[in-house]
Amino acid sequence: MATKSNTDKITSDLLRPIRLNKSFVIWMGFLGVSLVICLGAYGLQLKNGMVVTGLGDYVSWGMYISSFVFFVATSLIGMLISAVLGLSGQKWASPLARIAEIIALAFASVAGIVIILDMGRPERLLNVIIHGQIQSPILWDVTVVTVYMIISALFLYIPLIPDLKICSEKLKNLPPFARNIYKVLSLNWNNTPEQNKIIKQTTRTIAIFIIPVALAIHTVTSWLFANTSRAGWDSTIFGPYFVTGAFVAGTAAVIIAMYFFRKNYKLQDYITDNHFDMIGKLLVLVSLVYLYFNLNEYMVPFYKMKESEAILIRDLFAVNHAVLFWSVQILGLVLPIILLLFKKMRKPLPMLVIGIMVLLGAWFKRMIIVVPTQEHPYLPIQNVPLNFKIYTPTLVETLITIAPFILVLIIITLLAKVIPIIPVHETIEQLEDAPISPKGDLK
Amino acid sequence: MSEKEEKPKKKSRREFLQDIGIVGVGTLIGGSAIFAGINYDKRKKQGERIKVLTAENELLEIEKSDTTKVTKSPLKNLTYLQKEGRDGLKGHRWVMVIDLSKCRNARKCMAACNDAHHLRPEQHHINTLKMQDAKDTPAYYMPKPCMHCDNPPCVAVCPVDATFKRADGIVLIDNERCIGCRFCVAACPYSARVFNWAEPLHSHEDENLTYDVELNVPQRKGTISKCLFSADRLREGKLPYCVSACPNGVFYFGDENEDAVTNGTTKETVRFKKLLEDNGGYTLMPELGTLPRVYYLPPKGKEYPFQDKDKKEAGERLES
Amino acid sequence: MYTRNLRIVTFAIVSMFFLHSFAENNWNVPADKKARNSTIKFDATTSKVGESVYTKNCVSCHGDPTKGNSLKSLSPVPPDLASAKTQELTDGELFYILNTGRVIMPSFNNVLSEEDRWKIISYIRSFNKDYVQQLSISDTNKSQLVKVDMAFDKKSNQITVTVKANEKTGVVSLKDDEIVLFANRYFGRLQIGESQRTTADGVAVFDFPKDLPGDKDGNVKLVVKVNDDTYGEISRLKTMKIGVPTDIPSMTADRTIWNVLFKPIWIIVLYTFGVMVFGCVLLYLLYSLNRLRKAGNI
Repeated sequence: MATKSNTDKITSDLLRPIRLNKSFVIWMGFLGVSLVICLGAYGLQLKNGMVVTGLGDYVSWGMYISSFVFFVATSLIGMLISAVLGLSGQKWASPLARIAEIIALAFASVAGIVIILDMGRPERLLNVIIHGQIQSPILWDVTVVTVYMIISALFLYIPLIPDLKICSEKLKNLPPFARNIYKVLSLNWNNTPEQNKIIKQTTRTIAIFIIPVALAIHTVTSWLFANTSRAGWDSTIFGPYFVTGAFVAGTAAVIIAMYFFRKNYKLQDYITDNHFDMIGKLLVLVSLVYLYFNLNEYMVPFYKMKESEAILIRDLFAVNHAVLFWSVQILGLVLPIILLLFKKMRKPLPMLVIGIMVLLGAWFKRMIIVVPTQEHPYLPIQNVPLNFKIYTPTLVETLITIAPFILVLIIITLLAKVIPIIPVHETIEQLEDAPISPKGDLK
Repeated sequence: MSEKEEKPKKKSRREFLQDIGIVGVGTLIGGSAIFAGINYDKRKKQGERIKVLTAENELLEIEKSDTTKVTKSPLKNLTYLQKEGRDGLKGHRWVMVIDLSKCRNARKCMAACNDAHHLRPEQHHINTLKMQDAKDTPAYYMPKPCMHCDNPPCVAVCPVDATFKRADGIVLIDNERCIGCRFCVAACPYSARVFNWAEPLHSHEDENLTYDVELNVPQRKGTISKCLFSADRLREGKLPYCVSACPNGVFYFGDENEDAVTNGTTKETVRFKKLLEDNGGYTLMPELGTLPRVYYLPPKGKEYPFQDKDKKEAGERLES
Repeated sequence: MYTRNLRIVTFAIVSMFFLHSFAENNWNVPADKKARNSTIKFDATTSKVGESVYTKNCVSCHGDPTKGNSLKSLSPVPPDLASAKTQELTDGELFYILNTGRVIMPSFNNVLSEEDRWKIISYIRSFNKDYVQQLSISDTNKSQLVKVDMAFDKKSNQITVTVKANEKTGVVSLKDDEIVLFANRYFGRLQIGESQRTTADGVAVFDFPKDLPGDKDGNVKLVVKVNDDTYGEISRLKTMKIGVPTDIPSMTADRTIWNVLFKPIWIIVLYTFGVMVFGCVLLYLLYSLNRLRKAGNI
């Protein structure tokens, strides 16, 4: 039974981080300054054209598009943790649902911005709506990413309604306007049985609907490549290959976020070692599935060695991209799987290191998918400068690529500053339903 | 019909209108009105003949009945050019035949093309590649323009209809609409597309030019460019820039509907299908289903030896 | 390769010593052709037209006259036509070279009209200040007396060309004249069969191909060219309904994946369906939120 003291403790624990403090200001200041520097680099690109990047007529998609794929991929985690695990009754994951949703929303909204960075004519963005051609996978992508953004925002917002009410009532030292915002957003929440019923129903509807939408966004993103007849992209398993890869990247992102929230917000009682243990197992599961798709994607062409694909495979396995390729596959996929099989490794700190490894690997994996294919078109690359033949990112390009990451961090930090990142209402409710200790240990 | 009468045919309606627009009424010798739009479909009886002077100082004598009076000269503004460029030349289906046995890497096609379209030296609408298909097969030179596919992957993926296929088979670009996403570059298996990464070569001089879809000039920073089959020249009844620049008789260009192609060097006109049949014509990578409008004749009985210095580059892909 | 080089070297040596005679002997221009003169008078206008014809047909190899930018990679190297070597040739010689071509120089006899060929020479001569034109004394109006008839026989699929001249003395059949038949195409003239010589009746018969496309009604514009020593070069154009009617629909008429005007039905259905489902779900969610707000009123 939930006692009043228990409820109060949970409420005050979870609402504690919602206040201005020095470290927040310093962190945001740091992010802001970095963002300004990166935007300066983007200004350079706007002024001089995309010549400031390492891109050329052959490798015309580089870090930006790789990043775009990475962002879309990572945003899929919201669907996996909140919807799939939620619907299948995995109660341990419910405290992580909001973190996953925040990550999903942040990455999905920034993904659209990454695409703009890659455009030669960003000022003509509206042409996509004015002259949109529904045959183009880009239009599908724009459509589903927008849909996913809206649905993710609602998926974050609807379960948050009771917490917003709690915020407006329980938060001290809140300026009146902020209290009003909480109040308006809490939609007249009074914790009536009917309201509880509606909110459960609605959340369930979104959870079901978000699954096909999330699958769609990454499948469509994979079709940007698979719908061309280029060696290395011309693959029928690209959809599931990308989706499973997305789960790996997203899970790693959640692990990293969990670690920092737990540490900075002192949430050891709510994000427990057990959560790390469980999500570690989840990472092993999704990584194994991804490994299986990797095997399909590379072993099959390697066996046949069709000319155009053979050139690419040789390049990946043994020539220009070999170091990156094997690092990504071993350090970013195989090694984490092996390490995470040991319970000792599924503790917060080792998990953080593994999470970072996997996330970095996931980003470089996108480069491995995007770039080498373009370096090996069907017809030879001749009569062009050397930098058209081999893609080398420039400093300006790198700075511009960092910008969306900063933006994601800013969005996550801000959201985590204004809303409780562990669902308060739900935690109290669970306490009432099943007498588990606030430590969250599963029996 | 005398040769004299045949002359104005070489001037297209469009050029004619421009000429008259520039020269003005005053320079029309013996003409009291503006005449244009020579209609050669109908053979006229010998009638009253008039002389007109064009902007090129060309004095033409034409039959008055062969002309129609132009009441309003269309304004050559951007909208007009965009519409004209999208409509294309109705009733035609352009084809190009490239005879690899004649190519000796003179690169006049590349130079003429870059010059006409104001391209940087590394931007190739047409690129002469050194090719070798297998270790023991002979190396050869292969000019490679845009294939103007009948099933163009680049057009299908364009999100804004900036690249499009016209009624006459040409795949064109509207760089006033292009958003620069470069999906078409990724989709093209022939690497036919180039991007304006930096400010285009003549962007300063071209500042006041009205953008012509059929010439893709002025080039615009941050947009795509590619071979256009010199759509502007076709409208004037002239062969494409590359085709007429070739000194070696490599290129044939013509209309599939007429079953005739004309050699750019010798100006000899031959039957299109017979040319392919007699010489074993083929298309590049037919297995991709792109249905190119550019045909190749195999490098059989090459008239010129492949240069030793180019051997390495030709065999690069085989060695890797 | 070796023989070719040897030939070039020999060429070079020989031409150095016998520059004058080389130019003459090399082309082997028959004496009567050498003495031939233009029927049109060269002036600024003809040279201007000649320049535009030159730019279309000759500049790719010979380069711009006086600039010395002819294509050196060819063998033999095409001469700069403003050079003394070229200007030494007679008009008749230049005309002959232009007509026949040699090795890599194409023949322009059937490509350009006689007038255009003379205008090219007019243009080439404009680079020679010392040049004085000798006009042909032949009567240019004579060609207008010639009457060319074309008749098509459906059964044998043959075109019969009859060439006659209406002299004051009566109708004369032009015999043993070279007749060339062309079909006009967009960029040039397609020769039909081999060239023929007229019989004593001034008749030449051409087999017409059964599969030659015409316009949508089957009309083909035919050009017949007659080379006669007395009457000069005569061209006549006639449109005949003897081709295969060709009316191929425009390439953008079918529904295809790349067609922006007619998109494939499946893509319209799928896309619209997807967007509509989302719209419905969104409406439902907004409706639920509204219900939620109302349910809070106690």
